[in-house]
Amino acid sequence: MIRVDNISKSFDKNNVLLEVSAVFTEAQTNLVIGRSGSGKTVLLKCLIGMFEPDSGEIWYGNDRFTGLDSDQQRIFRQQMGVVFQGGALFDSLTVEQNIRLPMDFFTDWTRDQKLERVNFCLQRVHLPDSNRLLPADLSGGMKKRVAIARAIALNPKYLLCDEPNSGLDPQTAIVINNLIHEITLEFKITTVINTHDMNSVMEIGDSILFLSEGRKCWEGSREEILTSDNKVLNDFVFASELMKKFK
Amino acid sequence: MGILISLGRYMVFVRRIFSKPEKHGIYFRQIFREIDKLGVSSLGIVAIISFFIGMVVIIHMTSSIGNPLIPTYYFSYTARDVLVLEFSSTVLCLILAGKVGSNISSEIGTMRVTEQIDALETMGINSAAYLVQPKIIGMMITTPVLVILSIFIGLIGGWVVSIAGHLMTSADYIHGIRFNYDSFKVLYTLIKSVVFAFLITSISAYFGYYTKGGALEVGRSSTLAVVYSMIMILISNYLITQIMLG
Repeated sequence: MIRVDNISKSFDKNNVLLEVSAVFTEAQTNLVIGRSGSGKTVLLKCLIGMFEPDSGEIWYGNDRFTGLDSDQQRIFRQQMGVVFQGGALFDSLTVEQNIRLPMDFFTDWTRDQKLERVNFCLQRVHLPDSNRLLPADLSGGMKKRVAIARAIALNPKYLLCDEPNSGLDPQTAIVINNLIHEITLEFKITTVINTHDMNSVMEIGDSILFLSEGRKCWEGSREEILTSDNKVLNDFVFASELMKKFK
Repeated sequence: MGILISLGRYMVFVRRIFSKPEKHGIYFRQIFREIDKLGVSSLGIVAIISFFIGMVVIIHMTSSIGNPLIPTYYFSYTARDVLVLEFSSTVLCLILAGKVGSNISSEIGTMRVTEQIDALETMGINSAAYLVQPKIIGMMITTPVLVILSIFIGLIGGWVVSIAGHLMTSADYIHGIRFNYDSFKVLYTLIKSVVFAFLITSISAYFGYYTKGGALEVGRSSTLAVVYSMIMILISNYLITQIMLG
């Protein structure tokens, strides 16, 4: 479980997050939704320690993450898997080397054990036999899947994804969504996903947090989102003609 | 004020680079990769430049101070000192600052803007140490070797033009480059090359590491890295020369 207590963050005098509180539950796909510029990415970067909140606290289980110094946070992050918007694969490393990198650093496994784990992760994201490919050889969807494989390489307790299906075609986006959802349930991970894709919300959103202008505007489940009378939320969710018809 | 902030940030960056590696084996392997990527790949350009500069220096010496009263071996003696004291360390490192510095800065800058550095940090890896420490150590090992090679090839270039241009005999040339030899000057130039290697790598990595934005900013960081590396090479060249030879 991840708990966020009254997090605020500003850049210069621009308030990006204002006293946001939330609980992200274990073995659930927790979505953070909102318009571009609503503070989703800043919240995620606060969660992984890339930004230090101006005030408020972040708790991972019983550990107060915001109380740790930068070196302690870095060590703590070994329990996290993070999927970045563009995949953030290392260009000079092959797919296998990308996934093996955290194992090289933080395990004493033999070469065969590492290879076995790499192959397991690649099987899990439906990319077997792609070990020797370079990131430049992969499509956008494959890059995201390799990024997910890398994120789960060390069996993380927490999986944080920043817009994992942005820029993908609808079919590939569904594959990525389902993959994250399956992994979350299978390994009982606390997953937090930033997205503004309504398909993701309707398909895998066990718990949804809606941010607007840096504030928590609404939270609930995907069933509740359709019946909410929150105007700002409705403006966002039912912005497209398709969703209006769906409603 | 901005310079002081940048200097402070650079110091913190250098401290992070030299913090204890998570796994020595990985860093050790990376050092050899960097030696190959940054050092060995520079062999060609170093050889070409040094050969031609060696030739030109001898021609300049004979045309500028050529006099029947001055023994001809003085030309190769002076050319040797030019190569040993300044060209093969300072000028060569200025060239390397352009080649290697822009390479390092743009590589790390691209990793920054494509979130690869963030990915390393979120894995729990000290990105500054992992990316930069092997480069610095690799360059500090390779640069003195390149400098020695540059001196040697420069002297060969001088010998070729001396013989081909009938500027002096081979015996005079060899006598000149052995004349009044002082090994302290070689030590001085090697110390300079190690300091310059550190400056080129750390400054270029610093500008790359703190790149913000996109492709345009990566290019800008690369330019700044080369400019500041060159300025710092010139300043430290003066300081080391003042301390060791002044």
